[in-house]
Amino acid sequence: MSNLQAPRGGGKEESGLRYPTNGKTIYHRPLNRAKAAELSGASFAYLFSEMVSYASKKIESIQDLEKRSMDPSFTHKTPYLTRFIASARLNVQGHPIGLKLLDLLLYREPARTQTRPLTIITLLHFIKINVWQHLFGQVADGLEKSSDPSKPDEYMIIDNEPLVNRYISVPRDMSQLNCAAYVAGIIEGVCDGSAFPARVTAHSVGKQEEGEMWPGRTVFLVKFAPEVMERESFLGKG
Amino acid sequence: MSASKAARSDLLNDGRIWKGRVDKVNAELVVLTYGTIVAQLCKDFDSDYLQVNKQLDKMGYNIGLRLIEDYLAKSNTMRRCSNFRETADMLAKVGFKIFLNITPMVTNWTSDNKQFSLVFEENPLADFVELPDDGRAQDELWYSNIFCGVLRGALEMVQMQVEAHFISDVLRGNDTTEMRVSLIRYIDDELPPEDD
Amino acid sequence: MPVQVYSLYIFDRHTECIYSKQWFQPAAPAPSALPSTASDQHRPANGTDPAITAVEQPPPAKPRRNKGGDDAKLIFGTVFSLRNMVRKLGGDDDAFISFRTAQYKLHYYETPTNLRFALLTEPGALSMRNVLHQIYINLWVEYVVKNPLSPVEHKGGEGVRNEMFELGLDKFIRGLM
Repeated sequence: MSNLQAPRGGGKEESGLRYPTNGKTIYHRPLNRAKAAELSGASFAYLFSEMVSYASKKIESIQDLEKRSMDPSFTHKTPYLTRFIASARLNVQGHPIGLKLLDLLLYREPARTQTRPLTIITLLHFIKINVWQHLFGQVADGLEKSSDPSKPDEYMIIDNEPLVNRYISVPRDMSQLNCAAYVAGIIEGVCDGSAFPARVTAHSVGKQEEGEMWPGRTVFLVKFAPEVMERESFLGKG
Repeated sequence: MSASKAARSDLLNDGRIWKGRVDKVNAELVVLTYGTIVAQLCKDFDSDYLQVNKQLDKMGYNIGLRLIEDYLAKSNTMRRCSNFRETADMLAKVGFKIFLNITPMVTNWTSDNKQFSLVFEENPLADFVELPDDGRAQDELWYSNIFCGVLRGALEMVQMQVEAHFISDVLRGNDTTEMRVSLIRYIDDELPPEDD
Repeated sequence: MPVQVYSLYIFDRHTECIYSKQWFQPAAPAPSALPSTASDQHRPANGTDPAITAVEQPPPAKPRRNKGGDDAKLIFGTVFSLRNMVRKLGGDDDAFISFRTAQYKLHYYETPTNLRFALLTEPGALSMRNVLHQIYINLWVEYVVKNPLSPVEHKGGEGVRNEMFELGLDKFIRGLM
């Protein structure tokens, strides 16, 4: 492999990284430069589908190892386990993006609203509006609190037609759950970054019947950690 | 056709689905997703950057196999390029433009017209990317190696076997990002199996 | 102007039939493999019958359920030979477009990725090249190529028979009839 040693550029950073001779590092570029830039939806779709198949493929080889060492009763659960692990991987991959997005989006807000969200509702609104608008070009379709009184820590963000599911033709299959898991990971990253630790999972609730308006409807269930609820109620009282 | 089925099919034909909101996505989503992929690969292969390069190339190959049909549909050309020079031009001016909104420059043709270089003025996938400072990444990792795979896969589907690799990258401290593409051979049509 | 569409066959670059669909069974039992008189090719032919050597007539005793597969093979052999001959005579840029018999008209469309479409319609149909082009762009690329679930190689038709593609194709074709 040819190794072109460029002369040490203007960057006299201690990091030891080489920079081009014009000395331009990523720190010279304005953060808002790419804000409104758009790319073809296909680019995202192809990259994402490769990501999904890589996540599923890697598991199969681990699965083989596990099959050999585990008891037979596990083998019939293999497809489920694969799907579960694939979703978990995608969730984990989305997480750092959520953290970065939180900082980026808050930075871009007008100075007055640049503080991070302090209550659950503001946080969820931030996700529903800012994060969704930034990533998918439109706000999420709904935000609801769980109607189950025994689960006050559960909230739901609803997207009728998630962008990541756009090209999936076969509904209710493994992939649909995986794709949404990625977005769930992003949401989880945003929540964790704002000091609202939560677990976010994705559920497809679109029915495949005739006349169903939104067959790809997906609900992102946000379950906050108990300390968050405690803090919220404490703040509410104070 | 029942009324509800017609309604659903109308949804399929809705301009919104074919041309509307989902045709363009925020560039940062793509950039961040690609960054995640590379980061995940580096972690999975324990920073064996040569393996990461290979894996990126493989992923790109899979993407290229599909992307070519999308390219044909979007560019509305249904004839093959008549020679390799025309292929290179279409690649740079139409292909990259459609998917990444950039137009790399085609330069450094060899005299037999079988090799050329693509020089990228800007690389959207590498926006705000800095390679890890572990002393090896800058020497071994080609961050955008997925492009090589994409070209290889896409051109193979139109019966050109090519080889592509990066020779310089601004992320490595070079002044330009340049990829070298060479035509190995044209692939013949497959013949139907002989009837016995 | 409504056109009666009989069937559609799609062949991949490995010369395998990966999709076939019939909308209408023409009156004759099986389409003839050898084109008879009127042959519209891009360049006016010299009136010679194309030398088709790779096609065999099905023995009359073939069981009915293999009929679809045989038809597909016959059709592919025919169009492939015709296409090769056209290229030999007219150069690489030339293209075989359609041929017509007393019973049907076969329209051929090939993409640069060696994906081949053969559409059988009533003999009086006008050029369906645009129709095939639309099928390729709006249905094949959208619902098969872009579907991350469908494989790249459609061995045995895998990945092609998905709901959205079939629905869309059906609606599109029925809209023409």
